[in-house]
Order: sequence, then C-alpha cells, then structure tokens
Amino acid sequence: MSRFVLGPLCIIAAFATVATAQQTPQPPPPPPTHHVQGAVHAVDVRGRALEVLTGVGMAFRVVRLQVPADTRMTAAGAPLTLARLQAGDLVRVSYGARPGGFVAYSIERLERVP
Amino acid sequence: MTRVAALTIGLLVTAAGACRRPPQLGDPLPGLSAAERARFERGRAVFDSVFTPETGLGPLFNANGCAECHEDPVRGGTGDEVERHAAAFHPGTKGRPCDELAALGGPVYQNHVTPALHTALGIDSEPVPPQATAIAARTTPDIFGFGLLDAVPDSTILSYADPDDLDRDGISGRPNRFFDGRLGRFGRKALVPALLEFNEGALAAEQGITTPAVPAEETVAGQPLSAGVDPAPDPELSDSAVALLDTFVRLLAPPAPEKLSRQARHGRDAFDSIGCNRCHIPVLRTGDSPIPALRHKEVAAYTDLLLHDMGPELADICLGDATPSEFRTEPLMGVRRMARFLHDGRATTLEQAIELHNGEAARTRDRFRALSAEDRAAVVAFLKTL
Repeated sequence: MSRFVLGPLCIIAAFATVATAQQTPQPPPPPPTHHVQGAVHAVDVRGRALEVLTGVGMAFRVVRLQVPADTRMTAAGAPLTLARLQAGDLVRVSYGARPGGFVAYSIERLERVP
Repeated sequence: MTRVAALTIGLLVTAAGACRRPPQLGDPLPGLSAAERARFERGRAVFDSVFTPETGLGPLFNANGCAECHEDPVRGGTGDEVERHAAAFHPGTKGRPCDELAALGGPVYQNHVTPALHTALGIDSEPVPPQATAIAARTTPDIFGFGLLDAVPDSTILSYADPDDLDRDGISGRPNRFFDGRLGRFGRKALVPALLEFNEGALAAEQGITTPAVPAEETVAGQPLSAGVDPAPDPELSDSAVALLDTFVRLLAPPAPEKLSRQARHGRDAFDSIGCNRCHIPVLRTGDSPIPALRHKEVAAYTDLLLHDMGPELADICLGDATPSEFRTEPLMGVRRMARFLHDGRATTLEQAIELHNGEAARTRDRFRALSAEDRAAVVAFLKTL
C-alpha cells in the first residue's frame, strides 16, 4: 500500500477512535453514600419524597429525600412500598447528593410506629 | 527499713488518702491521669471561649459561650438564662403525635440574633411559628457529674422502667428514645442519648456554632439564612476543639454531698419512707468506660433518668416519645445550690417544688403533706445536703 493511501487511513482511524471515545464516555464516579437513621417525618407518595427526622443533641434536622421507583425498600427483609411508610416509623436510609437534592438509594424500615 | 518505719510510712500514706479533700465544684473527677487532667484544662479553655459573629456566633443564639449560662457558682454550674422551646402536640394523630417543629427551626427558638441577621430580617429573636401548640421555658441545668450519667448502662436505666405499672405503685417510669431509636437520658425530657451529642447539639442550638457533626446553621423558623449574615466559614469549631470541650464536661466531678446532720439523716429516712426514692434513685452505678475515673463508679444522682407523668399543671411541650406532662426525673445532685427549681424555674423553694409534683408523684407528694412540720423540714434539710 502506498504512503499516499496509508496516511489518510491513519488519520481516519485516529478520528474514529476519538469519536468512539466521545460516544462512550467513562461514567462519573458515584456520589458518596451517606446514611441516616431516624423517624419518618413525612411521606409524599405521589411526589415520591420522604422526610426523615434526625439530629444531634437538641439540634434537630429534617433530611428531605427523593425516592426514585428503583430505590430498594425493605422491612424485615421483605419488600416495602413508599405508601406503607408512615410518620414515626424508624428507618435507615442510604442516600447521595445529586444536583436536585438528596436521593435515596435504599430504605429499610426498622420499626413500625405503634 | 525497720518494721516501725515501714508501718509509720504506711499509716501516713493511708492518712493522706483519707484526708484528701473531696472535689470542689468545677474540679475534675478524682483519679485522672496527668494526660486526662491536661485535656480537662484545655477543654475548660474551649468552654470559656466567647464567640463573636466573626468567630462563628449565631446568627441565631441564646448565649455567646458555654460559660455565659453555665457560670454559677463556677464553670459548669447553672445560670439565670431562661430559653424557649416549642413543639406541636396532636394527640390521636396516626403516627407521631409530637411534632418538634424541626422543619420550622424548632424545638429551640433562640432569644438573640446577630446584628447582621437583625439588619437582614428586622428580628431580635427567632419567632415561634404559629404551628406550635406550646412554648416551654427552660432554665439552665448545671452539668456537674454528667460524664458519670453518660456512663450508666442503658440496662440499668431500663431496669427501673415500669411503663405499665405492673407493680401497681402508681409510678410507671418509661424511657424516652431519640429519633434513631436509641435510649435517651439527657435533657429535661430525656431525649438525648449521649453526652457528646448533648454538647455538640448545644453548640449549634445555643450558640449557633457549627461543628463537623452539625455542619449547617439553624434556620430562621424554617427559612434558610439570608446571604451574608454568617461570615464565619463552616465548621466554626473543629473536631479537636469539640473533643476537648466534651472532655471538660465529661470529667467535671459531681457535687459532693455534705455530711448529714442528725436532722438531715432523719430527713433522708423520711425521703425514702414516703417514696421519693422510687424515682429519685439515690445511687446509679456506671458501667465500663475507657476512662478509669468513670468506670464502675457510683454517683449519688438521685434520678432514674426515666420519664414520669407529672400532671397537667406542669405540662408544656412534647419531645420524642415524651408527652407534654412527662418529664425526666431531675437529678437532685447539686440541688442545694439551686435558687429555682423544676424545668422552668417556677418554684423558688424546695417545698414549692415538692408541692408542684403531681401525676405519678401525687401519692408521694400527699405523703409529704401528711408529714409533721418537723419531718417536712427534715426532708428539706436532707435535700439541702445534696
């Protein structure tokens, strides 16, 4: 193959490699996972949101979380729906910060409010 | 060395130990190592810190330092400040009947604001939102001996609980639990599980000082702070400074009870016989601790650290599982130095405080009333030795 043919082929191959790399970017590192254990403060089933009451000493905080449909929710190992959570339930939540706020990755109900 | 000389030295050592004066108010616990004592002193300096807006104070606050409130008669003591706590109680509500108004800046509503927040919002204190069903006044407790209370095992506290009054004595102490399920013990409603958190929470809620454990400022009745009103970068106090502060509080010795007079001994017997000691448990024993001075020690706390219904006259706010009329049995250690009594300071004498006991304490109060004047005076004389 002549040098006149090899040269353009190499250039095309280089562009193709760059284009492929741009089409399949490396996924960004997952945001750090946080955990909170507290009492359910409020549940918005339609808006798929949950508020958890927690705090340090007498400094109380409400953590607001979005709960996507694929959030893993369990109670005593069995699947749980957001609609079955109620204010006062004791929950443990793993979550991460996203541009729109906190998003729950998993929710475990530890105790049901009496 | 002769046997006589050895015996003499032994006697002198024993006598020196016996003559060692008990800790005075503000002193550290006896038996600390040199390193622990040094940390105690460094922690005292943090406790004595006076904050300004530039060093982290506020924008909402009740005091500009720990020692502004815990000052009388020495660092760690009580003070004359009275603060506001608020909550909403909705009995019969499905789920939690208590809303501590955490989403609206509660339950601690600060009495002061920094000049920058005053300029931004035109307020002099944090407003209590209309959703509150009660506002409580809270006096400053002394914090002597709190490290020992922190080291009392949960199992000891739970052993005194009788939530269903199975023994039919009219007293049904029950524990409070923090929102994460842990047993509470600190605060007038026994909500806070651990001393470190009590201290960290106080930095945030009382002084507006952020820490790594509480990295965000309080809101103003639920509204985020305006830009520019909080010039100090967060966290405003480092973990190491918080740890020193915690060490100081943790290692403060409890007030040593005074020697009992004959009248006070009689009063102690009456205190027991009329049933005060059913809730004001005279002695608690600590469990294991990394600090030898806190490990397996007895503390004359005169509390069971449980909630008791004190009747409707004293009721104010709910908190956690505590209903408005439930309060933690107030520790009586150090009560002789108090000028005001009960959670809100409404009683100015010990007799008044006893008279205001109701609910689960009604029978015991009635037995106190039925005592002779001499016996009632003896009970008070005993209390004034604690």
